[in-house]
Amino acid sequence: MAETVTVPPTERTRKAPSRQMIVTALPSVVLVALVLAVSVQQPSFLGPLSLRTLAESAAPIALIAIGVMFVILTGGIDLSVAVLTSLGTVLLALWMPSLGLLGVLLMIMAITAAGLLNGFVTAFAQVPSFVVTLGAMGLWSGVALGLSGASTISIGANHSLIGWLTGFRVGGVAISVYLTLGLGILVALGVRFLARGKSLHAIGLAENAALMSGVRTRRVRILAFGASGFFAALAATVLASSQYSGSPTLADALLLPAIAAVIVGGTAITGGVGGPLRTIIGTLVIGVLRVGMNALGVDPAYEQIVYGSVIIAAVALTLDRSRIGIVK
Amino acid sequence: MNGPVVEFRGVSKRFPGVLALDNVDVEIRPHEVVGLIGENGAGKSTLLKILSGVYQPDSGDLIVRGESRHLATPRHAAAAGIGMVHQEQSLIGTVSVAENILLGAEGSSVRGGVYNWKDLNQRAQRMLSKIDSQIRPTDRTEDLVLAQRQMVELAKALAVEERGDHEPVIVLDEPTSVLDGDDLETLFAEIERLRDIASVVFVSHRLDEVLRVSDRVYVMKDGRVVAERDPKAVDIAELYRLMVGRETAGEFYREDEQLEVDGAPDVIKVEGLGRKGAFKDVDLRVRAGEVVGLAGVEGSGREALSRALFGAEPFDVGQVLLDGARLKLGSPSDAVEAGIGYVPAERRVEGVAMGLSVEDNIVLADPGTISRRGIVIPSRRRQVVAEWIDRLRIKTVSTQTDVANLSGGNQQKVTLAKWLSSPRLRVLILDHPTRGLDVGAKEDVYTFIRKACAQGLAIILIADTIDETIALSHNVVVFRDGEITARFSAAPGRKPTQVQLVEAMV
Repeated sequence: MAETVTVPPTERTRKAPSRQMIVTALPSVVLVALVLAVSVQQPSFLGPLSLRTLAESAAPIALIAIGVMFVILTGGIDLSVAVLTSLGTVLLALWMPSLGLLGVLLMIMAITAAGLLNGFVTAFAQVPSFVVTLGAMGLWSGVALGLSGASTISIGANHSLIGWLTGFRVGGVAISVYLTLGLGILVALGVRFLARGKSLHAIGLAENAALMSGVRTRRVRILAFGASGFFAALAATVLASSQYSGSPTLADALLLPAIAAVIVGGTAITGGVGGPLRTIIGTLVIGVLRVGMNALGVDPAYEQIVYGSVIIAAVALTLDRSRIGIVK
Repeated sequence: MNGPVVEFRGVSKRFPGVLALDNVDVEIRPHEVVGLIGENGAGKSTLLKILSGVYQPDSGDLIVRGESRHLATPRHAAAAGIGMVHQEQSLIGTVSVAENILLGAEGSSVRGGVYNWKDLNQRAQRMLSKIDSQIRPTDRTEDLVLAQRQMVELAKALAVEERGDHEPVIVLDEPTSVLDGDDLETLFAEIERLRDIASVVFVSHRLDEVLRVSDRVYVMKDGRVVAERDPKAVDIAELYRLMVGRETAGEFYREDEQLEVDGAPDVIKVEGLGRKGAFKDVDLRVRAGEVVGLAGVEGSGREALSRALFGAEPFDVGQVLLDGARLKLGSPSDAVEAGIGYVPAERRVEGVAMGLSVEDNIVLADPGTISRRGIVIPSRRRQVVAEWIDRLRIKTVSTQTDVANLSGGNQQKVTLAKWLSSPRLRVLILDHPTRGLDVGAKEDVYTFIRKACAQGLAIILIADTIDETIALSHNVVVFRDGEITARFSAAPGRKPTQVQLVEAMV
């Protein structure tokens, strides 16, 4: 009987778009409001130097965020991205001085492989991604500490191979910012124009229907984790470029801002809704928030408190509870 | 007490778009087993849900032991002495049998929030003894086999009598669907025993069982009670006629549009397919333009077979050939790539991807149609989507509308468009394609099936009703307990009768 119980279409079409419009438009509105608020407090915020700092410090967070977004779109989560980024900087610092460009490529392959491994365990052993990546977080953090001897390794020789990413500026901002924007746009185009581009969203919204339509759901989920690893490796390259070093905890504090950026940008934590451009907007919101806190004289030690609260608040405000039965 | 224990008097229940119960009168007398039969959607479940307090009637009276009662929740129903044995097993596996039996009725067995185990086990034992069961109250529920769990469910249902001073009404909702052989006999013996201490409502798809255990049988159809029969004075064929009701209306099913398929080449061949516990020795062939209907009651193996042919469930032995070549069917994507489509019975979960737009749903199965070398050509996408919205008369505000906002019939059309728009489609498996649709949408689906045949597709159909199966198919294959028991030709003008099919089904 339940099958035939449907709400007349007219009633729902009136409600559905309004919700969607709010979720789509809200991040940009919040961004503009924040920029206004901060520039009132600190007029120099809109100056070129300050905007440059904002963009350049946001770039690695945006890269990590775009990576984890792939997984969130499928309805999963990747808690290991920040730790993989840290590990990436350690591998770079260890390999690049002797191996040069090959070292960079090997690092990217290794971190991507670590991401794929998360995906394999999630998809084949049927372990929830939350658990797999929580475990992976501890595991790779330990590996990074072991390899580095728990200390920062500075990159002397061959730093110039990656140094241009943050050292060379065009139009006032570093190449890393263009790289991030370019990749974001590329991913957005991929989602829109690749024949299988909507697979991530289909899996996040309705995995059974996607499976029964011939989408190779397992493969897509594994690739999403691989993409997450790949973007973590890119973030590692950018960080190592600006820091001249690799460190086993260099990026660990970026997990919360990255996930916050994805969610504040309007990607649903339940999967299926969102995209890279929204994630970039979300990163900017988080970036401005950070600058704003500085302007207000908030101790940077308290930043994580804000990111944590922002994640919970953003999900509380945007979660479409009509799609899920019981919230656990 | 001589009057009925429970009486439905002119009860109606309406859901948006459908009158689920229409002025229903039913009575359950003391120490009586009442059989209740009807097709899917006839109103049985709604009736049971009202009796168990899940739904409340819109009009009419529910009279329990002479008093008009409002059963607002399942708890109220239990307090009124009505116990349900659910179709899906509803026991908690990780706790003891006694805890399950008295779940929600712990009463005297809880003091200060703590179980008094001795009391709890004693009370549970009393219930188990009533049905003469050897299961111990302290057994862990998940260690029991299916049939034993069914007994625990019975004992749990019986526990409602503790809440009042009267004999309970026990509702058995398709209790036999998970049982066979000796377990079935045990259940029947149990029902005989229940007759002495309770009144029983017995709902089943298997008409022979209903005839065997019931004292009286109600037949429901389209939300109404259409007949009340004495099992001793009626046979299965008559019950079926009453259940299905109307004469076969050839026009309704577009029978004049059915084409002959003699001499058409085989598209899909199934040879010796089997899976333990589901189906075995299945041989089938479907020719271009042919509809092969799979008939059988629920659990007869036809649903499992159709899912196996789509790669959604495995098979142990046998092979599937498409155009003579053996198929690898490890997953649905294998089937889709080979040109097999599947319209699932669970439309809202497996048919359409809720949250995705109409457009994205239509191109989900075969993006190759709208792309070149993996890159979408937007003009081609627009054209294909517009063409299929038009051909299947899909009513939607725009191509970007969330498919969740469409009516059931239009969602089903989107599912059909997803498959029909793919040029590589050779075989279409339809699992209850008209379930839950209104008459207009049903007729549309019939038309599309005829058109798909005319284009040379091979169609495997599991229909909602026997009528539908006979009218739409060229050949009908009847399943019972996982095996093919009969085959009928249903070519245009040479249709078998419902009775012939039913005899092979039950």
